[in-house]
Amino acid sequence: MELVFENIPFFLKGAYYTLYVTVISMFFAFIIGVLVAIARLKGPMWLRMIARFYVSIMRGTPLLVQLFVIYYGLVDYGVTLGSLTAACLGLSLNAGAFLSETFRGAIQAVPKGQTEAAYATGMTPAQAMRRIIFPQAVRIAIPPMGNTFIGMLKETSLVAALGVTELLRSAQLLVAQYYVNMPFYLAIGVIYWIMSIGFSAILEQVERRLARAY
Amino acid sequence: MKSRKGWTLTALLLMTVLVLSACGSKATDNGSSNGAQANNELEQIKSAGTMKVGMMGTYPPYNFLNDKKEMDGFDADIAREVAKRLGVKVEFVSQEFSGLTPSLQSKKLDAIVSQMTITDDRKKVLDFSDPYITNDVKIIVKKDNNDITKLEDFKGKTIGVGLGTNDETYLRNEVLPKVGDFTIKTYDDVITSLKDLDAGRIDATINNLYALKPIVDANGFNIKAVGEPIKSDQAGIAVRKDNPELVAALNEALKGMKDDGTYNTIFKKWFGEEPAQ
Repeated sequence: MELVFENIPFFLKGAYYTLYVTVISMFFAFIIGVLVAIARLKGPMWLRMIARFYVSIMRGTPLLVQLFVIYYGLVDYGVTLGSLTAACLGLSLNAGAFLSETFRGAIQAVPKGQTEAAYATGMTPAQAMRRIIFPQAVRIAIPPMGNTFIGMLKETSLVAALGVTELLRSAQLLVAQYYVNMPFYLAIGVIYWIMSIGFSAILEQVERRLARAY
Repeated sequence: MKSRKGWTLTALLLMTVLVLSACGSKATDNGSSNGAQANNELEQIKSAGTMKVGMMGTYPPYNFLNDKKEMDGFDADIAREVAKRLGVKVEFVSQEFSGLTPSLQSKKLDAIVSQMTITDDRKKVLDFSDPYITNDVKIIVKKDNNDITKLEDFKGKTIGVGLGTNDETYLRNEVLPKVGDFTIKTYDDVITSLKDLDAGRIDATINNLYALKPIVDANGFNIKAVGEPIKSDQAGIAVRKDNPELVAALNEALKGMKDDGTYNTIFKKWFGEEPAQ
């Protein structure tokens, strides 16, 4: 265990990259998720088809394969992304698809009467969406969204395969240095756990704040 | 259905944001180049001022993380010295061995210095510098195992080997047809394969003796090398194909190191003996 304490700075560096990739991907995944959900619900037919296709591909193939396609595959077509860029892009696109399903469900869960009432007061569909439907849907979406985000935090370990020295890779390097497994893998397990607790706490706060109006 | 226009606009916005989000995250990483096609990669490295060198980082004493959390070891010292002689800094990227070649080919790396054995198969896709080390490869088993002493004894056993390594190709293409059926279990780094050997999950592995020494020194494992060397491998610095200027510069640097004794100093530092002539 002493070894773990000695190497905490090194782990923190790994944790930094894990967090970095997670937070950036969360941000873009959120945007992608909202837009794709709206596109699937309200978009013209061709856009719905594209959105469905996208969700189907992202959910139906392993994240690691997607990361390899982006990192190693795109190079053949002249797009050379750095490790971190490819990692963030891959995770955003992947989590965005999952989130879009969450949001779609949440939007559909808002009673139809709400939309009708909004229209009755003279709102346009866009206004109704923004002012009435969306605020309610976000509340419904938070718990499943938390699932996706925390899942993503852990899936960042796949990024080690692209040459990013995040938490898992940090542990692997230390194992090779000291020839012991258990303390290092336990340590990163604990770090992942602490980070996911942090994310849950933040989401809980958001949930509470959004509930205040009710 | 009234304002279809509004949704078309949203759709347009969606596309823009999707594209922007891709660019936005791109801007967070300055390590990417959009495949600039200068002919001479030596000049490219020199003008960048750094050479990106890929290595496993989990293969002591060749390449591993030292106490100061820097890449260290024989490979790292060789790479540093070569870079110094090219007049550039070196930037190490640690990656699983099987990912190194794809990374080099997709221009994420400039060179691989990670005990990559020079083979004809690899020469089809990579170029190599002159060899900078020769390793004898032996069979490695648990200390109390006396059943396996030669390749023929592999029959019916489980043999571990690094994924994508020259040893894997050798086991699959040469040993397997000759010896008969045995199971090959692949690993992403050397340490894990030796750990599994120690834990009894595989019967044997093949590796070179220098790699074994620090592990035995650290008293971690009850393992031993047996029999005569099954083969002798030469490792070189791997670079992308059709890169004669870079290869020539690397060879010149390696030759300079050998001539002025720097190479011997590095070799002795890590292996405690003079390099074989």
